[in-house]
Amino acid sequence: MERHGSTIPDVGNARLSLGDAFDKYRGSFYTLIVLVILMIIWNLAANKIQNTLLLPYFSETAMEFITAWGDPVIMFNLGLTLKRVFTGFLYAFIIGVPLGLLMGYSATAMQSLAPLMNSIRQVPIMAWVPLSIIWFGLGDGPTVFLIAMSAVFPLAINTIAGVEGIDSNYYNAARSMGASRRDLVRDIVVPGAMPNILTGCRLAMGAGWMSVICAEFIATSAGFGFLMVEAQVRLETAQLYALMVMSGLVGYAIDKVFVAFERKMTSWRFKDGFVGS
Amino acid sequence: MALLEVKDIRKTFTQKRKPPHIVLENLSFSVERGQYVSLLGPSGCGKTTLLTMLGGFMSADTGQIYLAGKKVEGPGPDRGFVFQNYALFPWMTVQENILYSLKVQNFNKREREKRLQELLDISHLHGSENKYPIQLSGGMQQRVAVVRALASRPEILLLDEPLGAIDFQMRELLQEELAALVEEAQTTVVMVTHDVNESVYLSDRVIVMSANKGRIIKDMYIDLPRPRSRQSQAFKEYVSELTELVRQAFREGGSYRQADIPARDRGVDNNFVASYNRMHSRYTNVANGRSRAVK
Repeated sequence: MERHGSTIPDVGNARLSLGDAFDKYRGSFYTLIVLVILMIIWNLAANKIQNTLLLPYFSETAMEFITAWGDPVIMFNLGLTLKRVFTGFLYAFIIGVPLGLLMGYSATAMQSLAPLMNSIRQVPIMAWVPLSIIWFGLGDGPTVFLIAMSAVFPLAINTIAGVEGIDSNYYNAARSMGASRRDLVRDIVVPGAMPNILTGCRLAMGAGWMSVICAEFIATSAGFGFLMVEAQVRLETAQLYALMVMSGLVGYAIDKVFVAFERKMTSWRFKDGFVGS
Repeated sequence: MALLEVKDIRKTFTQKRKPPHIVLENLSFSVERGQYVSLLGPSGCGKTTLLTMLGGFMSADTGQIYLAGKKVEGPGPDRGFVFQNYALFPWMTVQENILYSLKVQNFNKREREKRLQELLDISHLHGSENKYPIQLSGGMQQRVAVVRALASRPEILLLDEPLGAIDFQMRELLQEELAALVEEAQTTVVMVTHDVNESVYLSDRVIVMSANKGRIIKDMYIDLPRPRSRQSQAFKEYVSELTELVRQAFREGGSYRQADIPARDRGVDNNFVASYNRMHSRYTNVANGRSRAVK
């Protein structure tokens, strides 16, 4: 291409390039480096401390981690916990999303419900544990309740923000084309708030996964959280570490699934290389 | 009887701890079927407020608006409204956007399909019907917005600064597209603009409104053959005469500022317009032949 006026030397991409295949996995490669460095620090620390009760060697923990995936007891309890999380999330979704849509759409609903909702959500989630045990006894009941309780607020609040963020001209445009109130809810409110609803789902799922493990410490004698308490009681620190890593990875995987779902549900935001929030 | 009759409109905006601001007073005019009328004036003359009332999104304090003999009381499909930011539904494809009015008015599938083909024909949007608005250039978005408003054959098309968000180089090109599109659709148009050149290029008739209570200071017919040439002597004379009138309209306004109107009464959400424009600047750049912004 012919250039006019001042010329800027074209240095191209200043980053070190190791070919397309590498560029694709650049992120994973950096993650791997960080993990290796962490592993080295871990082993150095374990050498220094020389107490496997406090800090077992990395290799020991890694072995526990690998065997854990084949351990039927652990897998059964993980499945149980996941079932509780999804049940609790489902309840939170059924309550939180319609509530958020209503509060975002109707000023009256907002004014009457917001103070109540904003005070209830200030109650720490663990403070619900005694009450939930009184209500539901031990077992699935209180854990599902606690998950729903911690998931419902991120869902409702994000849904409200989503509805409030819809440009008023979308409503005006739809009404000038003859849309009824029902059409507005179906075609403007719900799809307009959808990106925020899905963000709410991610946050709610995260909150649910974090609270379920806490809930299982106390309110039940089965589940992933209960296994952690067991490992602690039996002084199997390596297994405890492995279980903690597992809980992190499972939460991460759930989040990834939700991100993929989000991209699929609101694909209109991601067309032509445009990347939304 | 004229197609559109505006009679003695008065509109006041009130804000806490501020004297009421009279935007429009004793405003009357009528528009004949088939006319292309521009409401021209400096910002703050109430032209967008008036258009918003014609659209039915806002009501007047006193006075009436009649369209084809029927009193305007709220938005309806007898008026096609094109918003400044187009307000295309980003979650719907071009086709879904265009056919939205037919969908909510329960037209059957065959009628919708037939109308879609007609509208794609006049807007030259064949091949883009399954794209999303975000994938379109500014000019294509404009065409989608116009044919969407035309879809259910409204009596009148209301355009709120349809090219206000487009930068200068694109503007003239899009004015030509708009002129062709409106001519093909053979509809009545009321357009709000602050661009003198645009009003002369597009309209049969220009109404100049003053920043002082929206007083009509001139109602001028543009007697030029179409398609119009911006280079002709007559065109330039119209432009210079109207430019002088707009200056006069501005001077009448006194100390009025746009910020004095509460945002909800301005008819458009300005924050949204700004963010929308930022989001889409990439596409207008592409349409201008500039290089694509770095991702």
